[in-house]
Amino acid sequence: MTILEDRPKSQTTAAPFFPSESYGRKVIKWMTTTDPKTIGYMYMATSFVFFMLGGAMAMIIRAELAQPGLQIVGNEQYNQLFTMHGTIMLLLFATPLFVGFANALVPLQIGAPDVAFPRLNLLGYYMFLFGGLIAVSGFLTPDGAASFGWFAYTPLSNVENSPTLGADLWIMGLALGGLGTILAAVNFITTILTMRAPGMTMWRMSIFVWTILLTSVLVLVAFPVLAAALVVLSVDRNLGSQVFAAENGGAILWQHLFWFFGHPEVYIIALPFFGIISEVIPVFSRKPIFGYKGLVFATIAIAGLSVAVWAHHMYVTGAVSLPFFALTTMLIAVPTGVKFFNWIGTMWRGSLSFETPMLWVIGFLITFLLGGLTGVMLAMPPITFQASDSYFVVAHFHYTVFGTVVFAMFAGFYFWWPKWTGKMLDEKLGKIHFYLTFIGFQITFLVQHWLGGAGMPRRYADYLASDGFTTLNMVSSAGSFILGASTLPFLYNVYKTWREAPQVNVNDPWGWGMSLEWATSCPPPRHNFTSIPVIRSERPAFDEAHPEHADLPEHGKRFSITKKTLYGID
Amino acid sequence: MKIGGWLFFWGGAFYFAVGYIYYLVTKEPVGTTALVLTGGLAALVAFYALFTQKRLGYQPEDNADGDIAEAESDYGFYSPQSWWPMLVAGSAAITFVGFVIVPWMFVMGLGFVIFSVTGWLFEYWKLERSEPIRH
Repeated sequence: MTILEDRPKSQTTAAPFFPSESYGRKVIKWMTTTDPKTIGYMYMATSFVFFMLGGAMAMIIRAELAQPGLQIVGNEQYNQLFTMHGTIMLLLFATPLFVGFANALVPLQIGAPDVAFPRLNLLGYYMFLFGGLIAVSGFLTPDGAASFGWFAYTPLSNVENSPTLGADLWIMGLALGGLGTILAAVNFITTILTMRAPGMTMWRMSIFVWTILLTSVLVLVAFPVLAAALVVLSVDRNLGSQVFAAENGGAILWQHLFWFFGHPEVYIIALPFFGIISEVIPVFSRKPIFGYKGLVFATIAIAGLSVAVWAHHMYVTGAVSLPFFALTTMLIAVPTGVKFFNWIGTMWRGSLSFETPMLWVIGFLITFLLGGLTGVMLAMPPITFQASDSYFVVAHFHYTVFGTVVFAMFAGFYFWWPKWTGKMLDEKLGKIHFYLTFIGFQITFLVQHWLGGAGMPRRYADYLASDGFTTLNMVSSAGSFILGASTLPFLYNVYKTWREAPQVNVNDPWGWGMSLEWATSCPPPRHNFTSIPVIRSERPAFDEAHPEHADLPEHGKRFSITKKTLYGID
Repeated sequence: MKIGGWLFFWGGAFYFAVGYIYYLVTKEPVGTTALVLTGGLAALVAFYALFTQKRLGYQPEDNADGDIAEAESDYGFYSPQSWWPMLVAGSAAITFVGFVIVPWMFVMGLGFVIFSVTGWLFEYWKLERSEPIRH
């Protein structure tokens, strides 16, 4: 960041840590890296592997449900599959994916050379990796993985009802992974509050950085509650304490604790992806984001309110205040609506173009809007009393969570791939990928609204032909296989881009990049910048590329970082 | 850090207020405790951020006319690469799994945690010096 005076030679010119770049050296370099970008790529790659694993489980589930009768798996295996599908998608895919995006982008977007705690960052990654492997390793035990649903309601998850080792491994794995997420959140808050480049005031940070800051706050609120609840559950199971015993009211206690984590968790995996959407839309609309401060305040409002809505998951227990939670849940739809207003306002009369990232954004807007609308419906207790634990709820949360996480993830992948790897993903394959995913998703989940309305309960392995669910289940299963197959063009695209695509030689291949990551090379150097433009708005890269539209000072040139300025540089 | 501190301050105030309303409406202990503790968490961060901001004084990143050159000084020490995070996480994993499998594995894991955390802490220290080596 700054120029340092010359240091004694013995200290500055140490021999390079890795003299040659053999395959083994490369692996070691990745394993021991403290570069937030590399850690971010590791997070994203690992969580994408978990995504494919969870997706494979979903396809087995859908295959089982295509016809009445048990053809493929038994009841217990079915329970394990939907438990691990939920666990993997929420805690081993979506949550670490947000950490991955944040690591790869936050230091770049605030003009920082690194994150505040590089080693803590790597520790968080390994805790997620080991925790995830521990949780999934239940499948290797004789009794199989955990099978009590991803919210592990007591007394179903106590030692009498779930005496398997897989259940214990699930609990401990998630506790360990959650610890890693907490450390990542601490790291991001500190980085964003203390390591911004001069001129990068809080009100000039990109929307993505704002969402990461508020998501990290939510992680600090929610994950310690989960970790504590899981550890206490484990003590109940292994040391015989009675905290979650049903006769002490432990069932409701667990639900309160779990959902006090669980609902902020929904926003933890939504807000960063709203941030990605807010980054992509202005670039392909050739307009600054509409209502920057409104978007920030909407994000703050969502983060604040999301802590006060948890018990809408518990309406049917009869043990919670319906008016309080119905009111707060409907209130949280308001800032979410503000965000939609801002996104549409950004596109309004813009010079739109529909490259692959923008297509994914459109897919997100449609899908998440439908999920949000059914969410407002389910916020009303009379509807929930009818629809709770039916496929209507399954359709609702897949529309919200798949809509935000997966559509925005691919928008982000296609958008930032050249920044991260120096190569543009193939547009044609990207479009095939998008349309397959979009069509497959809508076929799979749209009909589940009607299945739920017709009374099909979730988490059942089987139904009768006389129930009348067969046709819609067939449609849904067919859609899910299109959805599963849609990942193949993406994987081929990644391979093809890696082997064949030309190197990107400009800072900003999209041409209208706004935030600071488009002001450095593709891929960026180890400490992100060799020179930084002057920062006078929330879109410094755009200001530099189009100075005729910017209000820059006289000396508004790049500040070169001529020397290695950080201790411990490699 | 000023805006960040106030962000946490108002967040804390909001959580305390919601906790109070929640208690009045429901008299339910778990949620009230959780909301009040959340408010306390936010207040803690707010206090520390605002206190530190006061101690540090002018920060160029909060200056709307700040120049990149203003950050000129020691930027800090950033570890170039490290084996210790993997070892600490591995030790923690053994400890967590040991808790549900066998006690000796748990105890062994604790030993590994102490060893690896010590290694982490002293990675950039040398015996003959009383300050961290910077290289």
